[in-house]
Amino acid sequence: MTLFGQAVISGFLLGGMYALIAIGMTLIMGVMKIINLAHGALVMVSMYVVYVCYQLWGFDPYLGLFPAMAALFLLGCFIQRYMINRLVHIESILPENQVLLTVGIMLVLTEIVRLIFKSDYRSVTTGYSGDTFFLGDISVNVPMAIGFVIAMAFTYLLHLFLTRTDIGRSIRATAQDRDAALYMGVNAPRITVITFGLGSALAAAGGALLLPIFYLWPDIGHLFTAKAFIITILGGMGSTMGAIFGGLTLGVAESLGATYISMGYKDVVGLIIFLLVLLFLPGGFRSLTKR
Amino acid sequence: MLGKKKRFMGSRWLCSLLVAVLAAGLVLGGCAKKEEAPAGKAAEPIKVGIILPLTGTQAMFGEMEKNSFLMAYEELKAAGKTTISGREIQLLFEDDQSKQDVAKAAAEKLVNRDRVVLLSGGYSSACTNVIAGSAQSMGIPFLIVTGSADEITRQGWQWVFRGTAAPASKYTGALWEMMDKVIKPQRLALIYENTDFGTSSAKGFRQDVEKRGLNLVFDQAYEAGALDFKPMLANMKKTNPDVIFAVSYVMDAALIVKQMKELDFNVNLFVGGAAGYTMPEFKQNAGDAAEYVASTTLWIPNVAWPGAREYFDKYVAKFGKEPDYHGAQAYATMYIIADVLNRAKDFTPESVRQALKATDLMTIMGPIKFEDWEGYTNQSRPTTYVVQWLKGRLEVVWPTEAKSADYVFPVPKWRERK
Repeated sequence: MTLFGQAVISGFLLGGMYALIAIGMTLIMGVMKIINLAHGALVMVSMYVVYVCYQLWGFDPYLGLFPAMAALFLLGCFIQRYMINRLVHIESILPENQVLLTVGIMLVLTEIVRLIFKSDYRSVTTGYSGDTFFLGDISVNVPMAIGFVIAMAFTYLLHLFLTRTDIGRSIRATAQDRDAALYMGVNAPRITVITFGLGSALAAAGGALLLPIFYLWPDIGHLFTAKAFIITILGGMGSTMGAIFGGLTLGVAESLGATYISMGYKDVVGLIIFLLVLLFLPGGFRSLTKR
Repeated sequence: MLGKKKRFMGSRWLCSLLVAVLAAGLVLGGCAKKEEAPAGKAAEPIKVGIILPLTGTQAMFGEMEKNSFLMAYEELKAAGKTTISGREIQLLFEDDQSKQDVAKAAAEKLVNRDRVVLLSGGYSSACTNVIAGSAQSMGIPFLIVTGSADEITRQGWQWVFRGTAAPASKYTGALWEMMDKVIKPQRLALIYENTDFGTSSAKGFRQDVEKRGLNLVFDQAYEAGALDFKPMLANMKKTNPDVIFAVSYVMDAALIVKQMKELDFNVNLFVGGAAGYTMPEFKQNAGDAAEYVASTTLWIPNVAWPGAREYFDKYVAKFGKEPDYHGAQAYATMYIIADVLNRAKDFTPESVRQALKATDLMTIMGPIKFEDWEGYTNQSRPTTYVVQWLKGRLEVVWPTEAKSADYVFPVPKWRERK
C-alpha cells in the first residue's frame, strides 16, 4: 500500500508540473494550429533565467519564476510577431513551414545557450531542496509539493483569464475560428502574439518549478517538448482542461509503470497510453466531455 | 478539390527539385574528388578522425575529452612529435550527438571523404559499438577512448583497439577484492541505466555475484535521465539490501542518492560503478548526500602513474574545471596516437594497425598494451580502484597500498549524520 501511495503521489505531483508546460503548448496550438517544437527550448531558456537570477542575485527559484515568466513572455511575443506571423501569409511549397521554423528557433536557442553556458550540467541547490514530509509512510518532497500547488494556481488563473477577460475571450474566439473572429473585430494577429507570449510564460513557470528538483543542461528542451506533445494529444489539442488531465495521467502512469513493471520501461507506459488514446479516442480526453 | 490538386502538384515539384539537387550534388561531388586526388603529395597532413558527443545530452563529457585531446596535442607539438617526415598530424573532430545513426554517418564521412588513417573517440558504448562496426567493415583502425561495453572488443574485430577504457564488467576488479575482504555483503542490490554500458556492467556484476554464491535481492534497470527515482528506490527499500551497486551517469547518480536520503533509505555501503559517481558535478549536485558514497574508478588525479597529477593541474588551470577519468582517457589516447603514428612504417591503414598492435606505452592511464585475453581482442588490461567521498573529497580507499584515506564501513545512517 505504501508503495502504491508513493507511486501515485509522486506521479501526481510531477504530472501537475508537466501539465503546466503542456498547457502553454496547447494554448499556442489552439490558436495557431501548429505544434510549437521550440516549446521545450523555451522551457530551457526560462530555467537558465532562473538559474542566472539565483547565481547573480541569490533569488530563490520561486522568486526567479517571475522575471523568467516576464522574459519568456517577451521572447514569445517577439518570436510570434517577427518570425511566425511573417510566414502565415506567405504561399510556399510547404504548408508546414511554420513548424519547420519552430525547429529552427529551437536549434538556435539551444546553441546560443550552449555558447554562453557550455554543456555543463547545472543545478540550483536551495536549503529546502531535499526537504521532505511524511504522509504516513509516504515521503513527499517539499519542492515538488510547492511546485504542484503553484502549477495548479497558475492553471486556475489562466482559466479565469480565458473565461472572464476580454483578451481571454478574444483568444478563445481566435482559437475557434480565426476568420470569424477577424470579422467580429478581433485583432487576430495581435491575439496570436499575446497567446504565444502567454504560452511561453506558462512554459517558463513550469521550467522554474522543476529547477529545484531537477537539473539543467542546454539540450533539456527535447525532454519537455516530447512530454508536452504527448500530453497535448492525450488531452485533445487546444484544450486546457484536457492538458491538466493529460499531464496528471502521464505522471501517474509513468510512476505506476516504474513501480510495478520496471523503471527501464517508464517511458514505454506513457507511450502505450498515447497510442491507445490515438487509436480509441482520437480527439483526446476532451472528446469525452463533449459527448 | 482545387486545393488538393495544388498540393499534389506542389509535392511533385518538390520531388523534381530534390532529384535535381541530388543530381547536382553527385556531379559536383564527383568533380571535387577528381580535383583533390593529384594535389595531395608534398605536405598533406596525416588525418586522424575523432568522433565525440559535442552536442546532446553527453556534450559535457565530449567537451572535456576534446579539450584534453587538444591539450595533449599542443604538448606533443611542442615536443616535435606531431610532424612525421614533414607531414603533420591533423585532428578532425566530428560530433555524434550521442546518437548511433549520427555516429555511423560521422565515421563513414571521416573515412570516405576525409580519408583519415585512424579513427578515435567513441564516448557512449552504443555509439562506440556502431563506430567499431563501421571501422571493422571499412578496414580502418579504430582506437576507442571511453566506450566500454564488453562486447565491443569481444567480437574478434582486429581493427578495433581499446586501450584507456576497461571492459565494463572489469571496472569492479578492486571492488570485489574489497567485498571479499571487508564488506562481506549479505543482501546485494543492483540498479543500472538501460544503456549498453549499464547493462554490460550489470551483467559482469551479476556473474561475479553468482560465482561467489551471494544473494542478489534486487536487480533493475532504469531509463537514464529520469526525474523521479522514488518508485524504484521504494521497491528496493522493501527488499532491505545491505549493499547497493549502481551504474549511472552523473546527474542520475546525484538524484538517486538525494532521493535515497529523502526516503530515509539506509544501507551499509552504496557503491557506484564508475561513470557518474566520481565526478565533481556529482558532489556539487548531490550536496551532503554524496558523503560516504563509494565508487569503482579507472583513474584519479592522485594515482601513481607519471604525469597524472600534472595533467589534472594543467587542465584546471586552463579550463577552470576539474577533469575526471574521461578527460584522462582522451589525453592518454592522444599520446598513444602520436606514438603509433611515429612508429608506423607508412600511413596505410594496415601499417597503422600493425603499429597499434605493437604498442607498449606508459600513459597517465597506466601502461597500454593491446593484448588478446579472456575472449577480448586488442584490449589493454585495466587497473581499477575503489574511491569514497569523505569530507567532500574523493579518496582512494582500495587497494590499500594505493590508499589516500581509510575507508568508512558501514556508513552512518542518514538520521545519525549531523
